[in-house]
Amino acid sequence: MSLVARRTLIAAGIGAAAVAAIDLAIAPTIAYPGPQARIGAPAPAFSLTDSNGKTVSLADFKGKTVVLEWTNHECPYVRKHYGGNNMQALQKKWTAQGVVWLTLVSSAPGTQGFVSGDEANKLTAERGASPTAVLFDPSGDTGRAYGAHTTPHMYVITGDGKLVYMGGIDDKPTTRLEDLKTAKNFVDAALSELAQGKPVSVTTSRPYGCSIKYSS
Amino acid sequence: MALLLPAAGGLGAAKAAPPDAELVQAQLIAEPAAVAAGSPFWVGVRLRVKDHWHIYWRNPGDSGEAPAITWQLPPGFAAGAIAWPVPQRIPVAHLANFGYEGETTLLIPLTPPGALDRGAPIDIKASVTWLVCETECVPGQADLSLSLPVAEPGAAATTNPQTAAAFDAARSALPQPAPWPARMEVEPDRLTLAVAAPGLRREAIRSAFFFPDAETLIEHAAPQQLSVTPDGLSLRLERSPLATADPTAAGGVLVVEEMLEGRPTRQAFELENVAIGGGRVPTAREATSLAAILQAAILALLGGAVLNLMPCVFPVLSIKVLALMEHAGGPGRAVRRHGFAYTGGVLLAFAALGAALIGARAAGAEVGWGFQLQSPLVVALLAYLLLTMGLSLSGVFHFGSSLQGVGQGLVRRPGLAGSFFAGLLAAIVATPCTAPFMGSAIGFALTQPAAVALAVILSLGLGLALPFLLLTLAPQLVSRLPRPGVWMERLRQLLAVPVYATVAWLMWVLSQQVGPAGLLAAVSGLVLVGAAVWSLGAAQGIGRRSRRMALGTLAASLAGIAIAFAGLARDQGASVGPQQAASAAGYEPFTQRRLDELRAAHRPVFVNLTAAWCITCLVNERAVLASDAVRHAFAAKNIGYLKGDWTNRNPEITRVLESHGRSGVPLYLLYAGGAEPVVLPQILTPSAVLAEIDRIPDAPERKASLSDPAKEQIR
Repeated sequence: MSLVARRTLIAAGIGAAAVAAIDLAIAPTIAYPGPQARIGAPAPAFSLTDSNGKTVSLADFKGKTVVLEWTNHECPYVRKHYGGNNMQALQKKWTAQGVVWLTLVSSAPGTQGFVSGDEANKLTAERGASPTAVLFDPSGDTGRAYGAHTTPHMYVITGDGKLVYMGGIDDKPTTRLEDLKTAKNFVDAALSELAQGKPVSVTTSRPYGCSIKYSS
Repeated sequence: MALLLPAAGGLGAAKAAPPDAELVQAQLIAEPAAVAAGSPFWVGVRLRVKDHWHIYWRNPGDSGEAPAITWQLPPGFAAGAIAWPVPQRIPVAHLANFGYEGETTLLIPLTPPGALDRGAPIDIKASVTWLVCETECVPGQADLSLSLPVAEPGAAATTNPQTAAAFDAARSALPQPAPWPARMEVEPDRLTLAVAAPGLRREAIRSAFFFPDAETLIEHAAPQQLSVTPDGLSLRLERSPLATADPTAAGGVLVVEEMLEGRPTRQAFELENVAIGGGRVPTAREATSLAAILQAAILALLGGAVLNLMPCVFPVLSIKVLALMEHAGGPGRAVRRHGFAYTGGVLLAFAALGAALIGARAAGAEVGWGFQLQSPLVVALLAYLLLTMGLSLSGVFHFGSSLQGVGQGLVRRPGLAGSFFAGLLAAIVATPCTAPFMGSAIGFALTQPAAVALAVILSLGLGLALPFLLLTLAPQLVSRLPRPGVWMERLRQLLAVPVYATVAWLMWVLSQQVGPAGLLAAVSGLVLVGAAVWSLGAAQGIGRRSRRMALGTLAASLAGIAIAFAGLARDQGASVGPQQAASAAGYEPFTQRRLDELRAAHRPVFVNLTAAWCITCLVNERAVLASDAVRHAFAAKNIGYLKGDWTNRNPEITRVLESHGRSGVPLYLLYAGGAEPVVLPQILTPSAVLAEIDRIPDAPERKASLSDPAKEQIR
């Protein structure tokens, strides 16, 4: 009996030591190619075709404040802001003060929100919108680089190319027109602070809306 | 039921979106058939979504919007927060949404005022808004209403049988409260969610995913890197670039997919109070102070000392004391050496058992204290050992110097080795008896770093060895022991009886671990042990030739035992288990699912976690739980009785034990409606159990109204 007992104990000891030595992490490290856009960092560069066939680059607007507005004209959230004249008013107000306003469409061809140059110009005219340019990003590369998730999704870039705001247009993530009256518009606030030479106080917010119809 | 929403926005749609009514059908349902004044009740907003479309969770993920409800209630009524079902992860290109496909019911508690006019029905109105998306999104809205009569005063509120199934399904879709503490470690680019759920089997966990409440906490679509350690699991999460400040709250729902009995099982836990911290993630291990460790060690020491009186240990100890008396006349130093040798044996056994236990747990096995008795081979081995011991006490054979080389009977060997092996044996047979005194100390030890765990386990061993050690250290005590004589021989023979009784008990334990064939093999082994011991006795004091024959018989017997053992090993797990007799005996076998069901039906539940090899458990069951008074009390309060048998390995039961800081049986839990059960003492008395049962209110109206009649009938 003693021999059996002794062997059992020794075997148990060795077994315990062996299993304790096993590395317990089970998942390998997975690299996640996240968006490059970060507040305070240089905004990712892009060069895209506009609704008139011209190539427009972010670098063209050095020294000027740039607003990026991701859009999909059929998205109910975009309709809220255009239907309530909110987006157009903001465009008019700030382009008049020298701000560059770029409306971007990252919908892949055949998906909701994808339009031709002519259709885009027609929409601009119909809605009374006044963007500096409407840019097409059918590959979705620029949208992905900025981490644009939704329509609308807003970005503000300073004259020296730094990203100072990204997120939702305001703090009311709904499709209700009446919410426009009480919403706090983050883009308007950021642009006002920049115009006064102040640092932007709210630099991010939750973007809300429809998902961008990216090519997968 | 759902109403069309006029298209919002100024620009005509280029593509006509499907009409809203086809996408989502909304319905307001109530659980009770009538409203009782002052009794809260549940209503549900049931949303049926068209195939391939989805609606959203409270955090919709990268896009989307959660449904919202605006209530219009009669005066004095109040609506509580929505209880959200566990969401799904819905990938959209490289983004991720959190939401629901198919049918979803949002549960909302409504509280009526203390007095209601019986004449007027209760009109409940809800305006529900939602966003429903496939890839394209359509906002929707419905004005829902419901009219309920007022229940007669004093009458028990009744559930509406037509909606009972829907509420049942809705409750089963909710996450359960997490039984473990969780912590979020904050780094510049990364968050690590650490859940202190010790004892998870890493090979069984297929995946885990954290759905955060906050919309700007993490990158929703990023992979969540899972690691499982003996302390629990952790998930590495990408921080959302949208959050500029460190998070102040990090609650959410953790979904763990586990392989249980070969089937993937999804469990969801609501993590409400997630502590936020920088630096390393503290686990349950580090949260303990030196004082707690010391307290556990002292408790273990005392528990170990009490163990000497337990039926498992007493025979072994008495043999040792008898041996000590034989040495009583000898020099004090020799006696002391026996004390140290015995203590050494006890400590070595406890160290080995502790190391094996900690090692097995580190490897992910869900085992607890007393685990060695979950192996039928160990149980049979112990029975053979004890039978040999008993036969020796009865005088079938005596260990003489001529047979020392055989290696048998070291317990009775006069040398120091005899004392050492007596210690080993005492420790091994004592472990099943440790539970009643040691449950919480060992449970605590196993959540500690290995060194601390071993220290607590060794304290237990030291406690076990202590009485004998003290006896040998104080020679004046030894000299007071009565002198050896004929009476000692009689006492020794008498002490064989409890040893045989222990063998009988071990055979009964075995009968619940193996099938009939295995049991036959084990009992045949007992017969062969008898033959082997007899031949040993016969070999003593006879001629060389006869002795050779006797040794031949011994060898043949040992070979027979080995064959019996092999048969036993093959029959492991063939046990039909004690569960089959369960329903007839007034209890149901314990499963977490059944417990959840009973609790969801607002039934009080008594949980008894037991094992055939746990003597305390059996005594409690026979003397208390099976008594008429307790059984009647169970019936009177409609208490569901779930019995979990830990005789064989059962990870589900191990998890419950661990969630209450235990590592062995018995454990008695009484769920009386609150989130946390009452933990009853490990040694039960009828009065203590009845007192706890008395505290459960007599089926109150509210509870009756929230329960499911279909479930009630199962009793």
